[in-house]
Amino acid sequence: MNEREQEVLDEIRKIVTVTLEGTGTVTPGDRLAHCEVMDSLGLITLAVGLENRFRVKLSEQDAPGLETFGDVIELVNRRRAEAGR
Amino acid sequence: MKASRQPARAPATLGTALATAAHSGDGLTFVRSLQDESSLSWAAIEERAYRCAAGLHLAGVARGDRVALILPTGPDFPLAFFGCVLAGAVPVPLYPPVRLGRLNEYHVATAAMLTAAGARLIISTRRIRSLLGETVARARPPLGCRTVADFDCDPAGAPTPAAPDDLALIQFSSGTTRAPRPVALTHTAIMAQCEAMRPLLRGKDGDTQRGVSWLPLYHDMGLIGSLLGAVAYPGPLTLIPPERFLASPALWLQTIARQRATISPAPPFAFALCARRIRDEEMAGCDLSTWRLAICGAEPIVPAVLERFAERFAPWGFSARALAPAYGLAEASLAVTCTAPDAEPLFAAVDPGRLAVGEAIGPGERPVTAVGAPLPDIRLEIRNADGDPLNDDHCGHIWVQGPTLMREYLDQPEATAAVLRDGWLDTGDLGFRRDGNLFVIGRTKDVVVVRGANHRAAEFEDCLQDLAGVRPGRVVAGGFIPTGADGEELLLLIERSPHAREISAADLIAAVKVRVRERTGIQPGRVVIVEPGTLPRTSSGKLRRAASLDQYHAGTLSQPAKVHGAALAGQFIRSAFAFLRTRLRP
Repeated sequence: MNEREQEVLDEIRKIVTVTLEGTGTVTPGDRLAHCEVMDSLGLITLAVGLENRFRVKLSEQDAPGLETFGDVIELVNRRRAEAGR
Repeated sequence: MKASRQPARAPATLGTALATAAHSGDGLTFVRSLQDESSLSWAAIEERAYRCAAGLHLAGVARGDRVALILPTGPDFPLAFFGCVLAGAVPVPLYPPVRLGRLNEYHVATAAMLTAAGARLIISTRRIRSLLGETVARARPPLGCRTVADFDCDPAGAPTPAAPDDLALIQFSSGTTRAPRPVALTHTAIMAQCEAMRPLLRGKDGDTQRGVSWLPLYHDMGLIGSLLGAVAYPGPLTLIPPERFLASPALWLQTIARQRATISPAPPFAFALCARRIRDEEMAGCDLSTWRLAICGAEPIVPAVLERFAERFAPWGFSARALAPAYGLAEASLAVTCTAPDAEPLFAAVDPGRLAVGEAIGPGERPVTAVGAPLPDIRLEIRNADGDPLNDDHCGHIWVQGPTLMREYLDQPEATAAVLRDGWLDTGDLGFRRDGNLFVIGRTKDVVVVRGANHRAAEFEDCLQDLAGVRPGRVVAGGFIPTGADGEELLLLIERSPHAREISAADLIAAVKVRVRERTGIQPGRVVIVEPGTLPRTSSGKLRRAASLDQYHAGTLSQPAKVHGAALAGQFIRSAFAFLRTRLRP
């Protein structure tokens, strides 16, 4: 895992444990649906939290194909690259 | 300006209300973050809505046509909404897809609502439209799916103004059955709702009331309670997209302080979320002392939640007297009762074992929040199972009458007749009255209320039908408030399949939670696995949902006597012996 991926993973872990008060550690291979706090409120919180932290825009169109936290990390970094950040 | 707050004659339609508001000098402010804010006056909204109305007319939208709005909170929403109204069409606000959320269930649910409302057109944004392909393919609205910009054209020729008795809005209710019901409201009903709320808005010193709302605009409390309320009043309103509030609850309170807002409503879960998540440093410099009306409704109100919120934010000037618990439902436009401004919330403690319909309430351990007295022109009765009115302190069905009631469930005469009788609405909720206040204690309709949103019990039950380990058709969903919790949570009672003994209860519970979360976006609060045959059924084999939940809560839900092969053989031998004995008797 490179530095940029680690950065996003750290932010995801922070959102899950601090903001959403989830327990357990998130790893990139975990499915979103298997994470107890990723209900509709959790997903919105994660999306907006990542947008604010990395100044990218995640749209509704990004939902298909997002299965794991690793997919989310890849998506965020793709958007960061597109925005030159 | 102050004189315009109380028009000599209340506007009869939403269009005339907007025309009055356009002269007030006020309007909407959209806040996405503390650094990202834009404004649109009521006058500009009216002007651009007339352009949109002309475009809709040109595109073939006729008076009475239903137009679905699948829009986020932003300037497009009021333009499309009032564009429809000014074209004589009927807006049908529906929820947009959730970011990062699954779309399959969204397509099915949204297409069902489009069909039930008979929508001829969908207005959306470019971004959302690209996701709606499957929804559109399923529902096939004749005029397709387009954006607000597509309808911008010169407002040549006056559009047909709507009459007060025309439909003004279709909003969806969870109702009592498997499908969501399209609640049809006339201009008269919505304007009556806005008028009924007016006494709550009377400031002590006659100052203009300023609103802030993060509530979704496809929800009655956000649309009628905030947006249309601000148009009818008329006054300034600041809107925050709901997802911005959920991700950062402090933005709500910071915006109230910044706008010096006097009114901001929300469901109880929002007050709980704020008390839990907002840090002191986020409140630095905030003054909440202008907030005099924090209407709190849309889900059962746990007294401790309000107390905790008031205590948590008192250091920033918030007064507990601002909290105004309220009760309402989509079929009555919005609000039925509300606590008077400047009165502290009132609580009662009742015996949970004495809450059957017709029974007298007794003192006990269960705290219940008073939701105030009926609004002006609204009548309320507590009735027994036969429909006879009950006295104070007796538990019964809540019935409502008044000018705010829906006309019908659109094109569903049987469903309408089941709840509207002789001008009265059966709310499906249970409660009692005491000293003019209503207390809501439960419901007979099969609805689970999570975070202010109503969900049909069937929505949860259906998504588990094909899950390995679950006995098909043997799932019951209900709402319950766990001890110490902030609000209602989802309870699932599930019979395990007799053919899947190899799946452990723990694995099955985990699989159920994943499935429900994936399909509905709701996290189940409690999943209970029971043996086959445990959940009570009717003589025809249908599950008895209410009885199942009652037995669970009473601790009497038990599996049937085990009928093993050995037991059967034993019974057979015993009866054979009995038979032989009778035969051998002389």
